[in-house]
Amino acid sequence: MISEHPFPWLLPASALMVIFGLYPLLYAIWLSLQRKHPVTRKLAFAPTYNWSKLLGDERVWNALGNTLVYTGAALFLQLILGMAIALLLDSDRKGYGLLRAMMTLPLVIPPAVTAMMFLLMLNGSFGVLARGIIATGLLPPGFSILGTASTAMAGVLLAEVWQWTPFMVLIMLAGLRSLPKEPFEAAAIDGATATQVFFKLTLPMMSKVIAIAVLIRGIDLFRAFDYVKVMTDSGPGTATETLTSYAGRIYFGNADFPYASTIALLTLILVILVSFVFMKACKVKL
Amino acid sequence: MEQPRHLRILRDIAAVFVTFIFMFPILWWALTSIKPISAVFDKDRVVFFDFVPTLINYAVTLLGLSRSGLAIDQGIGMGVGGAEAYDSRHAILDSVIVSIGATAVTMAVAVFAAYALSRMAFNGRAAYLNWVLGQRFMPPIAILIPLVTIYKDAGLRDNDSLYGGYLGLMMIYALMNLPIALLLMKSFFDDVPKDVDEAAMIDGATRWQSFSKVVLPMVRGGVAASAVLVFIFSWTEFLLSLFLTTSIRTVPVKIQTFVTSTGNEWGFIAALGTAAAIPSFIFILLVQRHLVRGLTLGSLKE
Repeated sequence: MISEHPFPWLLPASALMVIFGLYPLLYAIWLSLQRKHPVTRKLAFAPTYNWSKLLGDERVWNALGNTLVYTGAALFLQLILGMAIALLLDSDRKGYGLLRAMMTLPLVIPPAVTAMMFLLMLNGSFGVLARGIIATGLLPPGFSILGTASTAMAGVLLAEVWQWTPFMVLIMLAGLRSLPKEPFEAAAIDGATATQVFFKLTLPMMSKVIAIAVLIRGIDLFRAFDYVKVMTDSGPGTATETLTSYAGRIYFGNADFPYASTIALLTLILVILVSFVFMKACKVKL
Repeated sequence: MEQPRHLRILRDIAAVFVTFIFMFPILWWALTSIKPISAVFDKDRVVFFDFVPTLINYAVTLLGLSRSGLAIDQGIGMGVGGAEAYDSRHAILDSVIVSIGATAVTMAVAVFAAYALSRMAFNGRAAYLNWVLGQRFMPPIAILIPLVTIYKDAGLRDNDSLYGGYLGLMMIYALMNLPIALLLMKSFFDDVPKDVDEAAMIDGATRWQSFSKVVLPMVRGGVAASAVLVFIFSWTEFLLSLFLTTSIRTVPVKIQTFVTSTGNEWGFIAALGTAAAIPSFIFILLVQRHLVRGLTLGSLKE
């Protein structure tokens, strides 16, 4: 029987991945080896042109730095908050199920809409959050959080952390609920404190769950685009420019497709490299 | 281990408070959508509840009514402008068509492949799974720039011929969602014991019959959960839609056009944003049980 063979079952998925994934990827690699003539706009084979331009482009390094800061800060905050909130909400008592369900809602709002929400709330003259911060005296009246280079990244991260902390909460909750009961009962009998139980038992037993959460969140954070595009348009200047948004700016700006592709491929290479090392080091598999 | 009563109450208060903090932006957004413009832009104080609610923002964005007409009816003088620019009915239709189409394509492709990867032993099975997983690691920007050129040549950027624009966006969303749908479906198939298909085949069923008549009906819940997740991810997608399409504007892209040089139309933005979130809210509450499994591509089960 033909249906005994895996080939027909895998054919549609393979076709999708070849036509819409592999072919554009090879095309992108080919593009990165071309030089676009600034006047005639013709492409000519110049295999090292874009890659050496990339190495000497300060904006690439700035964008890489911003991407790393964004990824690192968001991961750190989301992990700590996610774990803390999961411990808080991990209870079988009445009402906690509802709180856990409410906690998932931020996840499904379109990120571009979330970005707009925070753009409004962080507006220096009439945004509710900005007004709240200004009322505490930390910032001067009318201060534009997203319009100031030193605070813009923090503003963008606020939207990111709000939307995706619930992702960590959910995964941590699932991890907490799958822990075996016996070690905790034994620890209670031995008179261990809550802090000891958390650091000696909960955390080590959750390490696999935490590693999976970090991996999935990390690869998404590294492609950060939606929030910076909508909230600051990579600005002010290049203060919140990430690798993806820089590639997008080149694409929309001077339409240098080969160079934009090269930056996009750099992002891909870094994601693969970092996640490969992470997966090996933490012995984690998806 | 029973906590003392006062600690329990303290914890309850903390849990409610934290949840409220996460709900606040959503509530604020919904509140903004029914505020008159003057209450949104009040520079002297933050307006919480002391305003006269209005549905003008929904009437303009969801029903396509003219704002100037409505404003005069309600005696609001501010902001008189073109109505068509804010009529979002077409964007909603575009989003619905693309999201449903993408979900259908993704699931159709993923279910077959997931069954084979769960049930059949063949050379290169592990490599194939890595290829699928690789799609999840790939930042969309890596293939986006060539895709624009490919789509332009193939007529997949706009709807000029045969709704090519819808098809183009559906297919790329299908690719982006394939890893989630496929690996999630595989984990659901893995939950069904192999004896089930073997018993069916001993009784004379072909592989195809045992799949379609026996195993697939057993994972209906999994198919529904995967489809809902794919729908939500398609519904909320922004980057690909922004770059790849011209005449089609999905809701997340459309909403950005309300940011104008003369000021942002916060009322309309809030109304469309709230309306766009509601279907996702309903769907996500339906699949709570499988959410963690979905978000971790089947590697964690609740």
